[in-house]
Amino acid sequence: MAGALRKTTTGLVGLAVSENPHEHLKILYTRIIAALQNIPKDAAYRKYTEQIVNDRLGLVNSEPDVQKLENKMNSGQLEEVILQAESELTLARKMVQWKPWETLVDEPPADQWKWPI
Amino acid sequence: MAASGVGKVVGTTVKPIFSRDLSEAKRRVRELYRAWYREVPHTVQSFQLDITVKQGRDKVREIFMKNTHVTDPRVIDMLVIKGKMELQETIHVWKQRTHIMRFFNETETPRPKDFLSKFYAGHDP
Amino acid sequence: MLVGAALRVARAGLRVTGCRAVLLPARFEGSSTTETQPTVRPKDEVTQKHLCAFGEYVAEILPKYVHQVQVTCFNELEILIHPDGIIPVLTFLRDHTTAQFKSLVDLTAVDVPTRQNRFEIVYNLLSLRFNSRIRVKTYTDELTPIDSLVPVHKAANWYEREVWDMFGVFFANHPDMRRILTDYGFEGHPFRKDFPLSGYVEVRYDDEVKRVVAEPIELAQEFRKFDLNSPWETFPAYRSAPETLKIEAGEKKEDAK
Repeated sequence: MAGALRKTTTGLVGLAVSENPHEHLKILYTRIIAALQNIPKDAAYRKYTEQIVNDRLGLVNSEPDVQKLENKMNSGQLEEVILQAESELTLARKMVQWKPWETLVDEPPADQWKWPI
Repeated sequence: MAASGVGKVVGTTVKPIFSRDLSEAKRRVRELYRAWYREVPHTVQSFQLDITVKQGRDKVREIFMKNTHVTDPRVIDMLVIKGKMELQETIHVWKQRTHIMRFFNETETPRPKDFLSKFYAGHDP
Repeated sequence: MLVGAALRVARAGLRVTGCRAVLLPARFEGSSTTETQPTVRPKDEVTQKHLCAFGEYVAEILPKYVHQVQVTCFNELEILIHPDGIIPVLTFLRDHTTAQFKSLVDLTAVDVPTRQNRFEIVYNLLSLRFNSRIRVKTYTDELTPIDSLVPVHKAANWYEREVWDMFGVFFANHPDMRRILTDYGFEGHPFRKDFPLSGYVEVRYDDEVKRVVAEPIELAQEFRKFDLNSPWETFPAYRSAPETLKIEAGEKKEDAK
């Protein structure tokens, strides 16, 4: 209100300005962390994703100003960050089914990736 | 690593396309055949072909019988897939008359077989 | 494509769990090896390290599907995966926060008839957020269906139809699988290496039946000979070079352990 003007548009087609991005992001990040609980602790995906999510959650909690938060996150506008978090959430849920941290399903034939032949 | 890789690949089972065994694949072939059989009158009518329905059905049968020697369910599935696509193209009249009549090979002259007729034909491909 | 794969910085030991973190491609360690590149191209080590790091990241997260990660001499990151992992790997690349490869630039196939799985399916992805590209490769043969990518990337629809039409690779669960480029009634898949250059039929207008007819083509056998070797082999010595590099990389890595 004082210095910061209210954001009126994201400048991106089809992406509306979020009314309360902080709340939105907090909810999404807690959900991602909840989804990650179903993945074994030593899985690399859980490790890295938790790291990213906790970093961002910390930023969201510490920085109330939208503009500054966007600068700190360095990942586009907050609306885009919300989209990223949403896709990360769906991915985390799918990962639980796929279990990609298991060992390799099948070796390729010996000459499969040899080039030139 | 290379050797173990080869050994493993030989032992793996193949991924089926649709059918798990031969009987299932055969069922799909019969379904496709029935669909073609029913489609022939409409085809003759909508493309205004100069053939009778009987001729068309005989041709369908002939084309199906061409592949009787195939026993691998995956190959059968692949042929059924292609047959279904042909059927779809025929039903929606995406094809034209020439594409349908191509099956009948009307204009093809039989290849010369013995020496003398090859000689008369003038060249030996 | 051909040249891109030439200089591979292969890390064959990816699936060995222990030796993952420290690896840097041995290719860049020393300049003592003789120069095998036909042209001198400035090395961009920063980009290459970036790509290597991201490749290792992907391989670490998805050890179930990733066979090998390599960076080509043109600074392109390639991930070679098992065909089961198409949906998981590409969904991961699309949805993960540090990847965001939202755009499917191209999908195509490569036919190498001598291999057991003769088709390589190649996915080129673009991340607009991070301004980077990645190439995912997998394999199949004539009869093994591959999972369709349409649920992940809508753009895959026509590309997959094209690959089906040109190579005969069947995509399971594709919403609209039919021919896209060839004529109705066309038989065969033209981009397969065993498809003759002349095709199987020739088409002409027949005045008697008043329509276009197709007749089997007659060509002497020698015109159909099909040769993989290019007659313009400018650098014959270079052809086999990358392979030795690859082995070397593996051995050095063992020493480092």
